Amino acid sequence: MGKPQPPPELLPGTLYLLALRTLRDGPLHGYAIARRIRDASADTLQIEDGSLYPALNRMVVKGWLASEWGISDNNRKARFYRLTAQGRKQLERETKDFDTLISAIQLVMRTV
Amino acid sequence: MSFWTEWKQKLSFVRRASRFDQGLDDEILFHLETRAAELESQGFTRSGAVQQANREFGSRQRMREDSRAAWQFRWVQDLLSDLRYAFRALRRNPAFAATGVISLALGIGANTTIFSLTNEFLFSRPTVRSPETLAALRLGGNSHSPLSVFRFVRDSKAFDGVAGELEEAEVNWRDGDQSSRLHVMRVTGNFFDVIGVPVALGRGIQPGETRVVVISDGFWRNHLASNPSPLGRKLILDGAVYTIAGVLPRNTRTLVGFGFAPDLYVPVEGEDSIVAFYARLPDGMTRQMALERLGMVARDLDRAHPRADGGKWNSNLQVSAVSGFEWLEMMDIMPIAGFFAVLMIVVTLVLLVACANVASLLLARASSRSQELAIRLSIGASRSRIIRHLLAESLLLGLLGTSAGILLNLWLTTAFKHVQLPLPLPIQLQIQPDARLLVYSAALALVSALVSGFMPSLRASRADVNSVLKQSEHQVSGRRWGLRNVLVAGQLAVSILLLTTGLLFLRNLLKSTTMSPGFDVQQTALARMRLVPEKYTTRDRSDQVIRSALDDLRALPGVEAASVAQIVPLNDNLQFGQSIRTDTISEPRHNEFTGNNVSPQYFQTMGIRILRGREFADSDRAGNPSVVILNEAFARRLFGAVEPVGHWIQIGDGQRATVVGVAKNSKYFLLSEDEKSAIYWPTAQQEGLLTDLNFLIRARSRPDDLAKPVNVLLSKLDSSAAVEFKPMRDALGFALLPSRVAALLLGSMGFLGLALAAVGLYGVLVYAIARRTREIGLRVAFGATPSGILRLVFRESALLAGTGTTVGLCTALLVMRPLQSFLVPGLSAADPLSYALVLAVLGVVVFVASLAPAIRALRVDPLRAIHYE
Repeated sequence: MGKPQPPPELLPGTLYLLALRTLRDGPLHGYAIARRIRDASADTLQIEDGSLYPALNRMVVKGWLASEWGISDNNRKARFYRLTAQGRKQLERETKDFDTLISAIQLVMRTV
Repeated sequence: MSFWTEWKQKLSFVRRASRFDQGLDDEILFHLETRAAELESQGFTRSGAVQQANREFGSRQRMREDSRAAWQFRWVQDLLSDLRYAFRALRRNPAFAATGVISLALGIGANTTIFSLTNEFLFSRPTVRSPETLAALRLGGNSHSPLSVFRFVRDSKAFDGVAGELEEAEVNWRDGDQSSRLHVMRVTGNFFDVIGVPVALGRGIQPGETRVVVISDGFWRNHLASNPSPLGRKLILDGAVYTIAGVLPRNTRTLVGFGFAPDLYVPVEGEDSIVAFYARLPDGMTRQMALERLGMVARDLDRAHPRADGGKWNSNLQVSAVSGFEWLEMMDIMPIAGFFAVLMIVVTLVLLVACANVASLLLARASSRSQELAIRLSIGASRSRIIRHLLAESLLLGLLGTSAGILLNLWLTTAFKHVQLPLPLPIQLQIQPDARLLVYSAALALVSALVSGFMPSLRASRADVNSVLKQSEHQVSGRRWGLRNVLVAGQLAVSILLLTTGLLFLRNLLKSTTMSPGFDVQQTALARMRLVPEKYTTRDRSDQVIRSALDDLRALPGVEAASVAQIVPLNDNLQFGQSIRTDTISEPRHNEFTGNNVSPQYFQTMGIRILRGREFADSDRAGNPSVVILNEAFARRLFGAVEPVGHWIQIGDGQRATVVGVAKNSKYFLLSEDEKSAIYWPTAQQEGLLTDLNFLIRARSRPDDLAKPVNVLLSKLDSSAAVEFKPMRDALGFALLPSRVAALLLGSMGFLGLALAAVGLYGVLVYAIARRTREIGLRVAFGATPSGILRLVFRESALLAGTGTTVGLCTALLVMRPLQSFLVPGLSAADPLSYALVLAVLGVVVFVASLAPAIRALRVDPLRAIHYE
């Protein structure tokens, strides 16, 4: 109940990392974040768009993101998310952890 | 730090929950429509695009719930749902819920009431400005010192102010053609100012004022009918006119504490008055520093005003806080504090029994639900989740119990408030639930819930999933002495203890009420007459009143005899400890004895037999030889086998007095005293002024009918005197008060404990039968007779009761010994009758508690029991 529910292909917690990463260069609304992730992964990451929003909300609660209402490109009211200083630090930390993890896994895969 | 951010964020969410939902919906809509538009531009049809967008989005409902959950306090949500679930569970099982709630309500209700009572009586803080910087002072070991000393200490400027008061004073208030006795507090002019007593209406007494009075709220309501403009009204007190300067607020607690509530405050007058001292300590001055400073003042005082008795002011100095333990010690009421401590222990035991009850109930319930729990465990519920769920149930039970208990407490304390204790002092306890009580009860609820919920839930959650699911619960008979049995045996033991204590004090009360105090209480009455001291400055004048009063009283129809006495037995006491010489011994010997000054006809009036010699006569007056009457006990102690009549005794350096009679022993101050030495002197040979007169009257039939004529007669002699008439039966209320209070409190606690234990026993037996249904069914199938089945049930309860009783009786025998001093003579703390009664009561209770389970066992249908699986 209430736990993040990414599809099995996605490593736990990765959704946070992806969302944070897409927001590194500036504020985006939810749909744009989903879109970026899809485009950047060349459609290989099958994420239900809906699961993005609980993750975004959780990060707002944690203080990593801030959100405010703005006007989208297609001239509609949309909620924009941006990284806070705390979120930026979290992104650095998670990126490092992720890299460490991946290289460790790769090391194991190569040697065993 | 980030934890804190989350908290703040979540708290802010509480206020905008509805707006949040709206925002979320907007966001979803925006997402879906943008996506659909995009898809459409890629060639989808309108409806196809919408469908595709929805598919990609996934469940909207889940997204909404998950997003909301991110903002909410999970545990609050869980707790609420647990409580909701628990509430439904309790509603489904009203017998269980009622038993638990009533157990806790009684336990907590008793506990909080005793707590408020104790707290109010012993530890209430006076209603004055910053009581923590006030200190009570004592010089030369005296609780009260003369006004001249007061002025010296006040003017020494050693403190930020020193005020004085005399608490146990009385005045006669003349209201129309009636005079009544009022309790006043006489205070120095600076008292209201230094102590900071709040005044609701008007002002306090000012320095230098005389003939002004500040009245209590109670006096204003009860005697002045809440007159809207009482200020400036005149009161005639002891023949002088006083003007009302102020009215105290409602519910004021005086500086003296202990619920002491005088009717009036008047300025202290007369050079020979004495007062108790209170100092306002300057900022930062500790009581230790104050003591040193008081020492310096006392040294100067010894030089300026040497004490008449040769003692030193600068000795036995005391500086005490005006509330708390220090104050109790200074006021010398530690024994009463001890009684309250015993009471607190007793109610804690009752609460313990209540908790054990709820615990065994919950335990039984958890076991009977072990299947359900095992299923929940096996389909993935975590242990902590199950424990939390069960704890929620006991928490709810605890909360309900506490709320019910607080209601009970409110009801009891209101009832207590209106109880007028038969005391010679105006005591009115302002018992009200306060913040401390709420904290205390909340803590109780929590502790009760945790204590009675934790063990069962821990056990239930540890149940082995496999064995339980295989129904083995009904096959394994389990450990013979499970936690539950220990609880019930313990409860029975504690309730035996409580019950014996209670019963002993009930017997004590019964014995005290029915026992003869050694004088007649059926036909005698007491008429108290307080003369205004200012009007009776010589002995001749009061002797004149006494003589005419006695003559007139004796002439009243229906009066058999009348006399006057200084002390009314069992109401007041005059205690001596002095060396006594007689003409039969060479060396003076120290003796402890009680004394009274009585007029002729005293012994006839009181119905105390004169065994040898004679009663006092009119000829035993000042100028004639000194005479005394001794009681049997004193005569034997002083003269042994020698006939005392005709011999003389000498107390200290006093005059030799001839023993003219020996009176039968009676009770003098306490019903529990035994063989106390007593001496009687004739009033006519007593020295000093007499203003408090106690007329004792013996009626030919009922003394109650004499009330009116006696009141009229005495008021006619002096209209400024306050007169009170009471049949002796009623006047004994004070003497019976300790036994009554003890019997009431300890007795009710005892029965409460037993009732709770009975419920616990019943619960355990019912559970045991349920657990053994299959076994019993098998036995019946194999030909067991009903009596055999009954034996099975009663063996279980007998075992529990036997163990509990043995432990309880042994503890009771040990614990009761120190209580002996509270009991009337002839009643032993190891009173066999009390113990026999306790056992009988317990036997009945155990039998009744076992009856229903036994019947249930008899009704077990073998076929159904065996087919149950």
